Amino acid sequence: MREFRILPFAALCSLPLCALAGGGSVDRNIAAEPGGEVVISNVSGRVDVRGWDRNEVRVTGSLEEGVDRLDLESSSGRTTIKVVLPRGNSHDGDADLTIQVPKGSSVEVGAVSADISSHGVSGTQRLKSVSGEITADVAGDDSEVRSVSGDVTVRGSGKPISLRMSSVSGSLHLSDGAGKLDLVTVSGDAEAQMSEASEIRGRTTSGDLELRAKLTKDGRVDVEAVSGDLRLRVPSPSALSTEIESFSGDITGCLATNVEKVSKYGPGVRLNIRNVEDGPRVRAKTLSGDIEICDK
Amino acid sequence: MNSRKVQRIDELARDLPPARDLWPGIAAAIEADNVTARAGVPAARRPRWLPAAGMAAAVALVALGVLIGQYTSKQSGIGVVDGGQSVAASAIIPATYRKQRDELLVAVKQKLAGMPPAERDKVAGSLATLQRSIQEIEAALGKDPANALLQELLVNSCQEEMRALTAVRDSGRQET
Repeated sequence: MREFRILPFAALCSLPLCALAGGGSVDRNIAAEPGGEVVISNVSGRVDVRGWDRNEVRVTGSLEEGVDRLDLESSSGRTTIKVVLPRGNSHDGDADLTIQVPKGSSVEVGAVSADISSHGVSGTQRLKSVSGEITADVAGDDSEVRSVSGDVTVRGSGKPISLRMSSVSGSLHLSDGAGKLDLVTVSGDAEAQMSEASEIRGRTTSGDLELRAKLTKDGRVDVEAVSGDLRLRVPSPSALSTEIESFSGDITGCLATNVEKVSKYGPGVRLNIRNVEDGPRVRAKTLSGDIEICDK
Repeated sequence: MNSRKVQRIDELARDLPPARDLWPGIAAAIEADNVTARAGVPAARRPRWLPAAGMAAAVALVALGVLIGQYTSKQSGIGVVDGGQSVAASAIIPATYRKQRDELLVAVKQKLAGMPPAERDKVAGSLATLQRSIQEIEAALGKDPANALLQELLVNSCQEEMRALTAVRDSGRQET
């Protein structure tokens, strides 16, 4: 009989808790494999990923009222964390999340306007946001960071990996990179600093691209801009070969001692330096952007 | 305005005389050639590089065609445009490519409409920059069709435009 008296009271008390399911703080954890996969999806707010030594994923943070719920699941080495908004509401509802993952995990984060940060993860990372900023330490091979309009800042570990960074309007910034890099932006500026660079591809349309990279003995650089400027500082262990050409821009820098006109009457300048065939090599092309190249 | 349409081929005029007599100009050109030949002056020859340049231009356009083909085969489920107009009408870029781009632009415009104004302006500005760049390259190619650098920049810019448009179209797709 006493249970029946408590039941309506408990039901009444549970109402605010139900509401909190769509807003308030969150602190949940789930067991995960040390080298498993963690997939995170959030629309707006913030996602902060941190690698740690435990074999579990922990999610802490806060959810705004506009958020329906947070789904956290794990099976077969794959943990998914998804901020779910009510049907028909695809933008309102911030979720600020700190997510601790086993440091050897591969991590995939998808966001719309949420900012993404990631530190201490050694596995492959795939980070993408539409307008949010991305700041990450990236050490895993075959990693990718891309945005549409948000700025991207990546710090490598100094160890060779393959990394792709791309944006449409956002700027791209890489420090302590090594290995292979693919850098693409339309109007954002791009800047990369690398050691032991074996292969660099870069392209901008109107953004400027600045590259400071110590090339390996057979390192390759292939960069292109339409109206953006290219600034290349590429020290190399042996003499550099170049194939540099601009339709209406200038070629300058410490290597630009023998710049020649492409044709007697038409526009265009080029700088072709031929050294060892399998030695380090730089190829750079622009339509109207200037090219500055130096190997010191 | 006369809206009458031709119904049969024999309704068309058999002769359409030129607005002016062309023969004096042709005769003068023939005479000039004869004078040059008699004077022992070698006639102007086609530059040796012209066939090679033509070949290069053809190769570039074939490459662009292959690019379009690859893109077309990868894409599916893109809506058909009703009267969508290309922003950058072009004589050099093949019509099939422009059609694909216009179809993509429809989806991109919808995506842009759903973006916050500041972000929309930023992204739309970048896409416009890309299209202006392609137009600039095309204009330069119009003056120098055999230029290998311009051909390469055009193909790469078209590829980049597809990448950027696809990135905007697909942005936030999994997250919402």
